[in-house]
Amino acid sequence: MSAIVNKPGQMLWFFLLGGCLIAAAAAAGYSFMVGHEQAFNVTRGVPWGILIATYVFLAISCSGLCLISSLGHVFGFEEFTLICRRAILLAILCLMGAFGAIGLDLERPFNMIYTLLSPNFSSAIWWMGTVYGVYLGVLVIEFYALMTDNHKLSMITGSLGFLFAIAAPSVLGSVFGLTLARPFWHGAFLPVYILITALVSGTALISMVMYFQHALRGLEMDEKDRRVIRLLGRILRLMLFVLIFSVFWNIIVGLYGAQPGHYEPVKALVSGSLSANFWLGEIVIGLVVPLFLLMRKNRTPFSTMMASLMALIGMFFMRYDMTVAGQIYPMRQGAKGLTDGLFTYSPSVSEILIVIGCIAFSALVYTLVEKFLSLDLESEHHSQATPDNS
Amino acid sequence: MKKKRYAIVLDTRRCIDCKACTVACKAENDVPLGDDKFRNWVSEEPLRGRYPNLGQSFAPSQCNQCENPPCNSVCPTSATGITAGGIVTVNPDKCIGCKYCMLACPYDARYFNEETGVIDKCTFCIQRIAVGRIPACVETCPTKVRTFGDLNDPNSEVSLLLAKNRYRVLKPELGTKPFLFYLI
Ligand code: SF4
Ligand code: SF4
Repeated sequence: MSAIVNKPGQMLWFFLLGGCLIAAAAAAGYSFMVGHEQAFNVTRGVPWGILIATYVFLAISCSGLCLISSLGHVFGFEEFTLICRRAILLAILCLMGAFGAIGLDLERPFNMIYTLLSPNFSSAIWWMGTVYGVYLGVLVIEFYALMTDNHKLSMITGSLGFLFAIAAPSVLGSVFGLTLARPFWHGAFLPVYILITALVSGTALISMVMYFQHALRGLEMDEKDRRVIRLLGRILRLMLFVLIFSVFWNIIVGLYGAQPGHYEPVKALVSGSLSANFWLGEIVIGLVVPLFLLMRKNRTPFSTMMASLMALIGMFFMRYDMTVAGQIYPMRQGAKGLTDGLFTYSPSVSEILIVIGCIAFSALVYTLVEKFLSLDLESEHHSQATPDNS
Repeated sequence: MKKKRYAIVLDTRRCIDCKACTVACKAENDVPLGDDKFRNWVSEEPLRGRYPNLGQSFAPSQCNQCENPPCNSVCPTSATGITAGGIVTVNPDKCIGCKYCMLACPYDARYFNEETGVIDKCTFCIQRIAVGRIPACVETCPTKVRTFGDLNDPNSEVSLLLAKNRYRVLKPELGTKPFLFYLI
Protein backbone atom coordinates (compact mmCIF):
# COMPACT_ATOMS: atom_id res chain seq x y z
CA MET A 1 0.00 0.00 0.00
CA SER A 2 1.06 3.52 -0.48
CA ALA A 3 0.84 4.93 3.00
CA ILE A 4 3.55 7.52 3.26
CA VAL A 5 6.07 6.44 5.80
CA ASN A 6 5.74 8.68 8.82
CA LYS A 7 8.62 11.03 9.05
CA PRO A 8 9.14 14.22 10.96
CA GLY A 9 9.85 15.83 7.60
CA GLN A 10 6.29 15.19 6.58
CA MET A 11 4.89 17.30 9.39
CA LEU A 12 7.26 20.09 8.43
CA TRP A 13 6.19 19.83 4.81
CA PHE A 14 2.51 20.22 5.71
CA PHE A 15 3.28 23.10 8.06
CA LEU A 16 5.31 24.80 5.39
CA LEU A 17 2.64 24.45 2.72
CA GLY A 18 -0.09 25.39 5.18
CA GLY A 19 1.87 28.48 6.13
CA CYS A 20 2.31 29.42 2.45
CA LEU A 21 -1.42 29.06 1.89
CA ILE A 22 -2.32 31.21 4.86
CA ALA A 23 0.14 33.90 3.77
CA ALA A 24 -1.28 33.78 0.24
CA ALA A 25 -4.84 34.01 1.52
CA ALA A 26 -3.86 37.03 3.58
CA ALA A 27 -2.21 38.65 0.55
CA ALA A 28 -5.24 37.92 -1.62
CA GLY A 29 -7.59 39.34 1.01
CA TYR A 30 -5.41 42.41 1.34
CA SER A 31 -5.34 42.93 -2.42
CA PHE A 32 -9.12 42.81 -2.61
CA MET A 33 -9.45 45.20 0.31
CA VAL A 34 -7.04 47.90 -0.82
CA GLY A 35 -7.38 47.19 -4.53
CA HIS A 36 -4.93 45.59 -6.94
CA GLU A 37 -3.51 48.98 -7.79
CA GLN A 38 -2.14 49.33 -4.28
CA ALA A 39 -1.25 45.72 -3.58
CA PHE A 40 0.28 44.79 -6.92
CA ASN A 41 3.10 46.41 -8.85
CA VAL A 42 1.33 46.21 -12.20
CA THR A 43 0.87 49.53 -13.94
CA ARG A 44 -0.68 51.10 -17.00
CA GLY A 45 2.50 50.29 -18.88
CA VAL A 46 2.89 46.72 -17.60
CA PRO A 47 -0.61 45.51 -16.72
CA TRP A 48 0.29 41.82 -16.65
CA GLY A 49 2.66 40.74 -13.92
CA ILE A 50 3.94 37.66 -12.17
CA LEU A 51 0.44 36.29 -11.58
CA ILE A 52 -0.13 35.94 -15.31
CA ALA A 53 3.34 34.41 -15.65
CA THR A 54 2.42 31.90 -12.94
CA TYR A 55 -0.83 31.13 -14.65
CA VAL A 56 1.05 30.41 -17.86
CA PHE A 57 3.63 28.32 -15.98
CA LEU A 58 1.05 26.15 -14.24
CA ALA A 59 -1.41 25.85 -17.12
CA ILE A 60 1.33 24.83 -19.51
CA SER A 61 2.76 22.33 -17.01
CA CYS A 62 -0.70 20.79 -16.89
CA SER A 63 -0.71 20.22 -20.64
CA GLY A 64 2.82 18.87 -20.60
CA LEU A 65 1.90 16.32 -17.93
CA CYS A 66 -1.01 15.17 -20.07
CA LEU A 67 1.15 14.82 -23.14
CA ILE A 68 3.66 12.68 -21.30
CA SER A 69 1.07 10.51 -19.61
CA SER A 70 -0.76 9.95 -22.89
CA LEU A 71 2.33 8.12 -24.10
CA GLY A 72 1.23 5.37 -21.74
CA HIS A 73 -2.51 4.98 -21.82
CA VAL A 74 -3.20 6.44 -25.27
CA PHE A 75 -0.20 5.48 -27.36
CA GLY A 76 0.46 2.22 -25.61
CA PHE A 77 4.04 2.72 -24.47
CA GLU A 78 3.81 0.28 -21.59
CA GLU A 79 6.51 1.90 -19.50
CA PHE A 80 4.57 5.08 -19.13
CA THR A 81 1.38 3.57 -17.76
CA LEU A 82 3.23 3.61 -14.48
CA ILE A 83 3.06 7.39 -14.27
CA CYS A 84 -0.44 8.01 -15.64
CA ARG A 85 -2.35 8.42 -12.41
CA ARG A 86 0.16 10.75 -10.86
CA ALA A 87 0.59 12.75 -14.04
CA ILE A 88 -3.13 13.33 -14.49
CA LEU A 89 -3.66 14.15 -10.83
CA LEU A 90 -0.84 16.64 -10.96
CA ALA A 91 -2.20 18.05 -14.21
CA ILE A 92 -5.56 18.70 -12.55
CA LEU A 93 -3.93 20.37 -9.58
CA CYS A 94 -1.61 22.49 -11.71
CA LEU A 95 -4.59 23.68 -13.67
CA MET A 96 -6.48 24.52 -10.50
CA GLY A 97 -3.46 26.44 -9.24
CA ALA A 98 -3.32 28.22 -12.58
CA PHE A 99 -6.98 29.20 -12.33
CA GLY A 100 -6.27 30.46 -8.83
CA ALA A 101 -3.47 32.69 -10.11
CA ILE A 102 -5.47 34.21 -12.95
CA GLY A 103 -8.62 34.43 -10.83
CA LEU A 104 -6.79 36.52 -8.26
CA ASP A 105 -5.33 38.68 -11.00
CA LEU A 106 -8.71 39.56 -12.47
CA GLU A 107 -10.20 42.73 -11.12
CA ARG A 108 -13.79 41.50 -11.35
CA PRO A 109 -13.69 37.71 -11.43
CA PHE A 110 -17.44 37.43 -10.86
CA ASN A 111 -18.20 39.09 -14.16
CA MET A 112 -16.79 35.96 -15.78
CA ILE A 113 -20.36 34.83 -16.24
CA TYR A 114 -20.40 37.13 -19.28
CA THR A 115 -17.94 34.86 -21.05
CA LEU A 116 -21.02 32.65 -21.33
CA LEU A 117 -23.79 35.25 -21.59
CA SER A 118 -22.10 37.46 -24.19
CA PRO A 119 -19.12 35.50 -25.51
CA ASN A 120 -16.71 37.13 -27.94
CA PHE A 121 -15.47 34.43 -30.28
CA SER A 122 -12.72 36.61 -31.69
CA SER A 123 -11.07 36.86 -28.28
CA ALA A 124 -8.10 34.56 -27.69
CA ILE A 125 -8.70 34.82 -23.95
CA TRP A 126 -12.25 33.59 -24.46
CA TRP A 127 -10.96 30.55 -26.32
CA MET A 128 -8.26 29.96 -23.78
CA GLY A 129 -10.71 30.12 -20.88
CA THR A 130 -13.19 27.86 -22.61
CA VAL A 131 -10.64 25.30 -23.75
CA TYR A 132 -9.01 25.09 -20.33
CA GLY A 133 -12.40 24.97 -18.60
CA VAL A 134 -13.56 21.98 -20.65
CA TYR A 135 -10.11 20.48 -20.37
CA LEU A 136 -10.35 20.47 -16.58
CA GLY A 137 -13.58 18.48 -16.85
CA VAL A 138 -11.96 15.97 -19.19
CA LEU A 139 -9.01 15.57 -16.84
CA VAL A 140 -11.21 14.92 -13.84
CA ILE A 141 -13.08 12.16 -15.70
CA GLU A 142 -9.79 10.78 -16.95
CA PHE A 143 -8.43 10.61 -13.43
CA TYR A 144 -11.56 8.84 -12.27
CA ALA A 145 -11.21 6.34 -15.11
CA LEU A 146 -7.58 5.70 -14.26
CA MET A 147 -8.31 5.24 -10.59
CA THR A 148 -11.09 2.76 -11.27
CA ASP A 149 -9.06 0.97 -13.94
CA ASN A 150 -11.77 1.66 -16.48
CA HIS A 151 -9.61 1.16 -19.56
CA LYS A 152 -12.22 2.05 -22.12
CA LEU A 153 -13.11 5.32 -20.45
CA SER A 154 -9.49 6.18 -19.78
CA MET A 155 -8.66 5.55 -23.42
CA ILE A 156 -11.44 7.88 -24.58
CA THR A 157 -10.75 10.63 -22.06
CA GLY A 158 -7.02 10.14 -22.52
CA SER A 159 -7.31 10.69 -26.27
CA LEU A 160 -9.51 13.71 -25.71
CA GLY A 161 -7.07 14.93 -23.08
CA PHE A 162 -4.24 14.52 -25.55
CA LEU A 163 -6.03 16.69 -28.11
CA PHE A 164 -6.71 19.29 -25.46
CA ALA A 165 -3.12 19.10 -24.28
CA ILE A 166 -2.04 20.16 -27.77
CA ALA A 167 -4.82 22.68 -28.32
CA ALA A 168 -4.76 24.39 -24.94
CA PRO A 169 -1.16 25.57 -24.82
CA SER A 170 -1.23 26.70 -28.41
CA VAL A 171 -4.40 28.70 -27.75
CA LEU A 172 -2.67 30.14 -24.70
CA GLY A 173 0.27 31.03 -26.91
CA SER A 174 -2.12 32.75 -29.28
CA VAL A 175 -3.25 35.07 -26.48
CA PHE A 176 0.21 36.55 -26.78
CA GLY A 177 0.81 35.75 -30.44
CA LEU A 178 -2.28 37.61 -31.66
CA THR A 179 -1.45 40.96 -30.10
CA LEU A 180 -0.50 42.91 -33.17
CA ALA A 181 0.53 45.90 -31.10
CA ARG A 182 3.34 43.96 -29.35
CA PRO A 183 5.98 42.85 -31.84
CA PHE A 184 7.85 40.82 -29.23
CA TRP A 185 4.84 38.53 -28.85
CA HIS A 186 3.17 38.83 -32.19
CA GLY A 187 3.47 35.99 -34.66
CA ALA A 188 3.18 32.24 -35.01
CA PHE A 189 6.26 31.54 -32.92
CA LEU A 190 4.68 31.69 -29.48
CA PRO A 191 1.90 29.10 -29.95
CA VAL A 192 4.51 26.59 -31.16
CA TYR A 193 7.18 27.54 -28.66
CA ILE A 194 4.71 27.21 -25.79
CA LEU A 195 3.97 23.69 -26.91
CA ILE A 196 7.67 22.79 -26.76
CA THR A 197 7.96 24.30 -23.31
CA ALA A 198 4.88 22.33 -22.23
CA LEU A 199 6.80 19.14 -22.88
CA VAL A 200 9.76 20.41 -20.90
CA SER A 201 7.61 21.36 -17.88
CA GLY A 202 5.54 18.18 -18.01
CA THR A 203 8.50 15.83 -18.30
CA ALA A 204 10.44 17.66 -15.62
CA LEU A 205 7.53 17.61 -13.18
CA ILE A 206 6.75 13.95 -13.62
CA SER A 207 10.42 12.93 -13.28
CA MET A 208 10.54 14.80 -10.01
CA VAL A 209 7.39 13.15 -8.78
CA MET A 210 8.72 9.74 -9.80
CA TYR A 211 11.87 10.36 -7.86
CA PHE A 212 10.33 11.79 -4.73
CA GLN A 213 7.50 9.33 -4.42
CA HIS A 214 10.14 6.66 -4.03
CA ALA A 215 12.72 8.59 -2.07
CA LEU A 216 10.30 10.07 0.43
CA ARG A 217 8.47 6.83 1.07
CA GLY A 218 11.74 5.02 1.47
CA LEU A 219 10.96 2.73 -1.45
CA GLU A 220 13.49 1.07 -3.67
CA MET A 221 13.20 1.84 -7.38
CA ASP A 222 12.81 -1.35 -9.31
CA GLU A 223 14.11 -1.87 -12.84
CA LYS A 224 10.83 -0.66 -14.35
CA ASP A 225 10.91 2.59 -12.39
CA ARG A 226 14.49 3.18 -13.33
CA ARG A 227 13.67 2.59 -16.94
CA VAL A 228 10.83 5.13 -16.89
CA ILE A 229 12.95 7.76 -15.22
CA ARG A 230 15.72 7.11 -17.75
CA LEU A 231 13.25 7.52 -20.60
CA LEU A 232 11.87 10.69 -19.06
CA GLY A 233 15.41 11.99 -18.81
CA ARG A 234 15.91 11.28 -22.50
CA ILE A 235 12.71 13.04 -23.50
CA LEU A 236 13.67 16.01 -21.37
CA ARG A 237 17.10 16.10 -22.96
CA LEU A 238 15.63 16.15 -26.43
CA MET A 239 13.12 18.85 -25.56
CA LEU A 240 15.80 21.01 -23.95
CA PHE A 241 17.82 20.73 -27.14
CA VAL A 242 14.87 21.87 -29.22
CA LEU A 243 14.15 24.63 -26.75
CA ILE A 244 17.69 25.94 -26.87
CA PHE A 245 17.32 26.33 -30.61
CA SER A 246 13.99 28.12 -30.26
CA VAL A 247 15.41 30.51 -27.69
CA PHE A 248 18.49 31.10 -29.82
CA TRP A 249 16.51 31.99 -32.93
CA ASN A 250 14.04 34.07 -31.02
CA ILE A 251 16.91 36.18 -29.74
CA ILE A 252 18.63 36.43 -33.12
CA VAL A 253 15.42 37.43 -34.90
CA GLY A 254 14.84 40.09 -32.26
CA LEU A 255 18.31 41.59 -32.49
CA TYR A 256 18.75 41.35 -36.23
CA GLY A 257 17.85 44.60 -37.93
CA ALA A 258 16.83 46.25 -34.66
CA GLN A 259 13.14 46.50 -35.50
CA PRO A 260 11.55 48.94 -33.01
CA GLY A 261 9.29 47.23 -30.51
CA HIS A 262 10.90 43.84 -31.01
CA TYR A 263 14.51 44.81 -30.57
CA GLU A 264 14.19 46.62 -27.25
CA PRO A 265 12.56 43.78 -25.29
CA VAL A 266 15.12 41.29 -26.65
CA LYS A 267 17.87 43.73 -25.75
CA ALA A 268 16.42 43.98 -22.24
CA LEU A 269 16.69 40.20 -22.03
CA VAL A 270 20.26 39.89 -23.19
CA SER A 271 21.77 42.99 -21.63
CA GLY A 272 19.09 45.05 -19.90
CA SER A 273 16.73 44.93 -16.96
CA LEU A 274 15.82 41.27 -17.54
CA SER A 275 19.31 40.01 -18.29
CA ALA A 276 19.95 38.38 -14.89
CA ASN A 277 16.69 36.44 -15.25
CA PHE A 278 17.55 35.50 -18.78
CA TRP A 279 21.15 34.40 -18.45
CA LEU A 280 21.05 32.95 -14.99
CA GLY A 281 17.44 31.79 -14.70
CA GLU A 282 16.64 30.72 -18.25
CA ILE A 283 19.96 29.79 -19.79
CA VAL A 284 22.19 28.53 -16.98
CA ILE A 285 19.69 27.08 -14.51
CA GLY A 286 16.99 26.21 -17.01
CA LEU A 287 18.85 24.94 -20.03
CA VAL A 288 22.59 24.44 -19.87
CA VAL A 289 23.09 22.76 -16.49
CA PRO A 290 20.10 20.40 -16.85
CA LEU A 291 21.24 19.47 -20.32
CA PHE A 292 24.72 18.80 -19.00
CA LEU A 293 23.32 16.64 -16.20
CA LEU A 294 21.17 14.70 -18.62
CA MET A 295 23.97 14.10 -21.09
CA ARG A 296 26.18 12.39 -18.58
CA LYS A 297 26.56 8.68 -19.19
CA ASN A 298 26.26 7.64 -15.57
CA ARG A 299 23.25 9.68 -14.67
CA THR A 300 21.24 8.48 -11.70
CA PRO A 301 17.58 9.04 -10.86
CA PHE A 302 18.85 11.71 -8.50
CA SER A 303 20.69 13.64 -11.19
CA THR A 304 17.65 13.35 -13.47
CA MET A 305 15.57 14.79 -10.66
CA MET A 306 18.03 17.62 -10.18
CA ALA A 307 18.03 18.37 -13.89
CA SER A 308 14.23 18.37 -13.85
CA LEU A 309 14.04 20.67 -10.88
CA MET A 310 16.40 23.13 -12.52
CA ALA A 311 14.61 22.93 -15.85
CA LEU A 312 11.38 23.69 -14.04
CA ILE A 313 12.85 26.71 -12.28
CA GLY A 314 14.16 27.82 -15.66
CA MET A 315 10.68 27.45 -17.12
CA PHE A 316 9.28 29.76 -14.49
CA PHE A 317 11.83 32.40 -15.41
CA MET A 318 10.95 31.90 -19.05
CA ARG A 319 7.25 32.53 -18.41
CA TYR A 320 8.04 35.56 -16.35
CA ASP A 321 10.46 37.04 -18.86
CA MET A 322 8.14 36.37 -21.78
CA THR A 323 5.23 38.04 -20.00
CA VAL A 324 7.17 41.08 -18.88
CA ALA A 325 9.41 41.58 -21.91
CA GLY A 326 6.40 41.80 -24.21
CA GLN A 327 5.07 44.80 -22.34
CA ILE A 328 8.05 46.96 -21.52
CA TYR A 329 8.24 48.74 -24.86
CA PRO A 330 5.94 51.78 -24.58
CA MET A 331 3.10 52.17 -27.04
CA ARG A 332 3.67 55.88 -27.50
CA GLN A 333 6.36 58.46 -27.31
CA GLY A 334 6.62 60.43 -24.13
CA ALA A 335 4.99 57.89 -21.84
CA LYS A 336 5.74 58.56 -18.18
CA GLY A 337 7.77 56.30 -15.91
CA LEU A 338 10.28 54.98 -18.42
CA THR A 339 13.82 53.95 -17.59
CA ASP A 340 16.08 54.03 -20.64
CA GLY A 341 12.98 54.23 -22.80
CA LEU A 342 11.37 51.11 -21.33
CA PHE A 343 8.91 50.30 -18.56
CA THR A 344 10.11 48.24 -15.66
CA TYR A 345 8.28 45.83 -13.42
CA SER A 346 9.14 43.84 -10.35
CA PRO A 347 6.53 41.93 -8.36
CA SER A 348 5.20 43.19 -5.03
CA VAL A 349 5.22 41.13 -1.83
CA SER A 350 1.49 40.41 -2.21
CA GLU A 351 2.00 39.17 -5.74
CA ILE A 352 4.86 36.89 -4.69
CA LEU A 353 2.87 35.50 -1.77
CA ILE A 354 -0.07 34.70 -4.03
CA VAL A 355 2.25 32.96 -6.49
CA ILE A 356 3.73 30.87 -3.69
CA GLY A 357 0.22 30.11 -2.49
CA CYS A 358 -0.95 28.85 -5.87
CA ILE A 359 2.02 26.52 -6.17
CA ALA A 360 1.68 25.45 -2.52
CA PHE A 361 -1.98 24.65 -3.13
CA SER A 362 -1.13 22.22 -5.92
CA ALA A 363 1.67 20.65 -3.88
CA LEU A 364 -0.43 20.33 -0.72
CA VAL A 365 -3.42 18.70 -2.36
CA TYR A 366 -1.11 16.42 -4.29
CA THR A 367 0.60 15.23 -1.13
CA LEU A 368 -2.72 14.71 0.60
CA VAL A 369 -4.08 12.63 -2.25
CA GLU A 370 -0.84 10.69 -2.40
CA LYS A 371 -1.20 10.03 1.30
CA PHE A 372 -4.80 8.90 1.31
CA LEU A 373 -5.36 7.29 -2.09
CA SER A 374 -3.34 4.59 -3.73
CA LEU A 375 -1.80 6.01 -6.87
CA ASP A 376 0.30 2.92 -7.50
CA LEU A 377 -0.90 0.43 -10.05
CA GLU A 378 -1.90 -3.03 -8.88
CA SER A 379 1.01 -4.43 -10.82
CA GLU A 380 3.57 -2.43 -8.87
CA HIS A 381 5.37 -4.13 -6.06
CA HIS A 382 7.55 -1.97 -3.99
CA SER A 383 10.16 -3.08 -1.59
CA GLN A 384 11.33 -0.87 1.20
CA ALA A 385 14.78 0.51 0.71
CA THR A 386 15.45 0.66 4.41
CA PRO A 387 13.48 -2.04 6.16
CA ASP A 388 13.92 -0.54 9.60
CA ASN A 389 12.09 2.63 8.56
CA SER A 390 8.97 3.03 10.70
CA MET B 1 -30.68 60.29 -42.04
CA LYS B 2 -27.24 58.86 -42.62
CA LYS B 3 -25.47 57.10 -39.75
CA LYS B 4 -23.03 59.31 -37.90
CA ARG B 5 -19.31 58.65 -37.69
CA TYR B 6 -17.62 60.81 -35.12
CA ALA B 7 -14.04 61.93 -35.42
CA ILE B 8 -11.65 64.48 -34.00
CA VAL B 9 -9.26 66.43 -36.18
CA LEU B 10 -6.21 67.84 -34.42
CA ASP B 11 -4.01 70.71 -35.44
CA THR B 12 -1.08 70.04 -33.15
CA ARG B 13 0.83 73.14 -34.26
CA ARG B 14 -1.56 75.13 -32.13
CA CYS B 15 -0.91 73.12 -28.97
CA ILE B 16 0.77 75.06 -26.16
CA ASP B 17 0.92 72.10 -23.76
CA CYS B 18 -1.37 73.74 -21.21
CA LYS B 19 -3.06 70.37 -20.52
CA ALA B 20 -6.47 71.99 -20.10
CA CYS B 21 -7.89 69.09 -22.11
CA THR B 22 -6.63 66.54 -19.58
CA VAL B 23 -7.99 68.53 -16.67
CA ALA B 24 -11.37 69.07 -18.35
CA CYS B 25 -11.57 65.36 -19.15
CA LYS B 26 -10.72 64.34 -15.60
CA ALA B 27 -13.44 66.63 -14.25
CA GLU B 28 -16.06 65.64 -16.81
CA ASN B 29 -15.48 61.90 -16.67
CA ASP B 30 -14.52 61.33 -13.03
CA VAL B 31 -11.06 60.15 -13.98
CA PRO B 32 -9.15 59.44 -10.74
CA LEU B 33 -6.12 61.48 -9.75
CA GLY B 34 -2.75 59.96 -10.43
CA ASP B 35 0.05 60.07 -12.93
CA ASP B 36 -1.06 57.15 -15.03
CA LYS B 37 -4.81 57.76 -14.85
CA PHE B 38 -6.01 59.66 -17.85
CA ARG B 39 -8.25 59.32 -20.86
CA ASN B 40 -6.35 61.89 -22.87
CA TRP B 41 -2.86 63.30 -22.66
CA VAL B 42 -0.34 65.64 -24.22
CA SER B 43 3.01 64.12 -25.15
CA GLU B 44 5.99 66.39 -25.20
CA GLU B 45 8.17 65.61 -28.16
CA PRO B 46 11.95 65.97 -27.84
CA LEU B 47 13.56 69.36 -28.33
CA ARG B 48 14.79 70.09 -31.83
CA GLY B 49 17.82 72.09 -32.85
CA ARG B 50 20.50 73.84 -30.84
CA TYR B 51 20.30 76.84 -28.56
CA PRO B 52 19.22 79.49 -29.42
CA ASN B 53 17.43 77.90 -32.40
CA LEU B 54 15.11 75.53 -30.63
CA GLY B 55 11.77 74.01 -31.45
CA GLN B 56 9.42 71.63 -29.69
CA SER B 57 6.08 70.11 -30.57
CA PHE B 58 3.32 68.72 -28.42
CA ALA B 59 1.06 65.90 -29.38
CA PRO B 60 -2.31 65.71 -27.66
CA SER B 61 -4.01 62.37 -28.06
CA GLN B 62 -6.65 59.96 -26.78
CA CYS B 63 -8.55 56.90 -27.95
CA ASN B 64 -8.73 56.82 -31.74
CA GLN B 65 -12.20 55.23 -31.77
CA CYS B 66 -10.70 52.85 -34.30
CA GLU B 67 -12.93 51.37 -36.95
CA ASN B 68 -11.12 48.06 -36.57
CA PRO B 69 -10.33 48.20 -32.88
CA PRO B 70 -8.09 45.42 -31.54
CA CYS B 71 -9.32 46.21 -28.02
CA ASN B 72 -12.76 45.12 -29.15
CA SER B 73 -11.57 41.89 -30.76
CA VAL B 74 -9.74 40.70 -27.66
CA CYS B 75 -12.38 41.38 -25.01
CA PRO B 76 -13.60 37.97 -23.81
CA THR B 77 -16.91 39.12 -22.36
CA SER B 78 -17.88 41.66 -25.02
CA ALA B 79 -17.59 44.35 -22.35
CA THR B 80 -15.90 46.43 -25.00
CA GLY B 81 -18.24 47.30 -27.81
CA ILE B 82 -18.75 49.74 -30.66
CA THR B 83 -21.71 52.04 -30.21
CA ALA B 84 -23.53 54.46 -32.50
CA GLY B 85 -21.22 56.94 -34.18
CA GLY B 86 -18.33 54.47 -34.06
CA ILE B 87 -17.50 55.18 -30.43
CA VAL B 88 -15.75 52.33 -28.63
CA THR B 89 -17.04 51.89 -25.08
CA VAL B 90 -16.55 49.61 -22.07
CA ASN B 91 -19.57 48.22 -20.27
CA PRO B 92 -18.47 48.22 -16.62
CA ASP B 93 -20.99 45.54 -15.69
CA LYS B 94 -19.35 43.04 -18.00
CA CYS B 95 -15.66 43.86 -17.65
CA ILE B 96 -13.65 41.24 -15.73
CA GLY B 97 -10.55 43.41 -15.58
CA CYS B 98 -8.33 41.01 -17.46
CA LYS B 99 -6.53 44.01 -18.99
CA TYR B 100 -6.07 42.25 -22.30
CA CYS B 101 -7.50 45.30 -24.05
CA MET B 102 -4.81 47.49 -22.46
CA LEU B 103 -2.20 45.29 -24.10
CA ALA B 104 -4.00 45.06 -27.40
CA CYS B 105 -4.49 48.81 -27.87
CA PRO B 106 -1.49 50.15 -29.80
CA TYR B 107 -2.12 53.68 -28.54
CA ASP B 108 -2.06 53.29 -24.75
CA ALA B 109 -5.59 54.65 -24.67
CA ARG B 110 -6.91 52.49 -21.85
CA TYR B 111 -6.26 52.45 -18.14
CA PHE B 112 -7.54 50.66 -15.10
CA ASN B 113 -9.83 52.83 -13.00
CA GLU B 114 -9.43 51.70 -9.41
CA GLU B 115 -12.51 53.64 -8.34
CA THR B 116 -14.87 51.80 -10.65
CA GLY B 117 -12.78 48.62 -10.63
CA VAL B 118 -12.87 48.30 -14.40
CA ILE B 119 -11.16 49.56 -17.53
CA ASP B 120 -11.86 53.09 -18.67
CA LYS B 121 -11.17 55.02 -21.86
CA CYS B 122 -12.16 58.06 -23.85
CA THR B 123 -15.70 57.93 -25.26
CA PHE B 124 -15.62 61.33 -26.97
CA CYS B 125 -17.78 62.29 -23.94
CA ILE B 126 -20.65 60.16 -25.13
CA GLN B 127 -22.84 61.56 -22.35
CA ARG B 128 -22.40 65.06 -23.76
CA ILE B 129 -22.91 64.02 -27.38
CA ALA B 130 -26.25 62.54 -26.31
CA VAL B 131 -27.45 66.01 -25.33
CA GLY B 132 -25.96 67.76 -28.34
CA ARG B 133 -22.76 69.02 -26.74
CA ILE B 134 -19.19 68.50 -27.87
CA PRO B 135 -16.48 66.60 -25.92
CA ALA B 136 -15.04 68.46 -22.92
CA CYS B 137 -11.47 68.43 -24.30
CA VAL B 138 -12.66 70.02 -27.53
CA GLU B 139 -14.71 72.65 -25.76
CA THR B 140 -12.00 73.67 -23.33
CA CYS B 141 -8.98 73.93 -25.63
CA PRO B 142 -7.88 77.60 -25.63
CA THR B 143 -6.13 77.39 -28.99
CA LYS B 144 -8.72 75.15 -30.68
CA VAL B 145 -6.38 72.27 -31.42
CA ARG B 146 -9.26 69.80 -31.59
CA THR B 147 -12.28 69.90 -33.86
CA PHE B 148 -15.03 67.38 -33.30
CA GLY B 149 -17.75 66.31 -35.71
CA ASP B 150 -19.46 63.79 -37.93
CA LEU B 151 -17.36 62.60 -40.88
CA ASN B 152 -20.39 61.19 -42.64
CA ASP B 153 -21.70 64.72 -43.04
CA PRO B 154 -19.72 66.27 -45.91
CA ASN B 155 -20.44 69.76 -44.65
CA SER B 156 -19.29 69.20 -41.08
CA GLU B 157 -16.30 71.14 -39.88
CA VAL B 158 -14.21 67.95 -39.60
CA SER B 159 -15.05 66.88 -43.16
CA LEU B 160 -14.08 70.31 -44.46
CA LEU B 161 -10.79 70.29 -42.56
CA LEU B 162 -9.87 66.89 -43.95
CA ALA B 163 -10.90 67.94 -47.45
CA LYS B 164 -8.71 71.03 -47.41
CA ASN B 165 -5.65 69.76 -45.55
CA ARG B 166 -3.23 66.92 -45.62
CA TYR B 167 -3.40 64.73 -42.56
CA ARG B 168 -2.06 61.55 -41.00
CA VAL B 169 -3.27 58.97 -38.54
CA LEU B 170 -1.19 57.15 -35.92
CA LYS B 171 0.31 53.73 -36.71
CA PRO B 172 -1.72 53.20 -39.90
CA GLU B 173 0.31 50.06 -40.61
CA LEU B 174 -1.51 48.23 -37.84
CA GLY B 175 -4.78 48.37 -39.72
CA THR B 176 -6.77 49.79 -36.83
CA LYS B 177 -8.30 52.58 -38.98
CA PRO B 178 -8.09 55.38 -36.42
CA PHE B 179 -10.53 58.28 -36.29
CA LEU B 180 -8.19 60.83 -34.79
CA PHE B 181 -6.74 62.81 -37.67
CA TYR B 182 -3.61 64.91 -37.35
CA LEU B 183 -3.26 67.80 -39.80
CA ILE B 184 0.17 68.18 -41.37
S1 SF4 C 1 -7.36 53.63 -29.71
FE1 SF4 C 1 -7.11 51.79 -28.50
S2 SF4 C 1 -8.82 51.84 -27.08
FE2 SF4 C 1 -9.32 53.27 -28.71
S3 SF4 C 1 -10.52 52.05 -30.16
FE3 SF4 C 1 -8.38 52.02 -30.86
S4 SF4 C 1 -7.57 50.14 -29.95
FE4 SF4 C 1 -9.45 50.62 -28.84
S1 SF4 D 1 -10.29 44.31 -19.18
FE1 SF4 D 1 -12.51 44.41 -19.43
S2 SF4 D 1 -12.84 45.56 -21.33
FE2 SF4 D 1 -10.70 44.93 -21.30
S3 SF4 D 1 -10.63 42.99 -22.42
FE3 SF4 D 1 -10.84 42.44 -20.26
S4 SF4 D 1 -13.05 42.27 -19.94
FE4 SF4 D 1 -12.78 43.40 -21.88
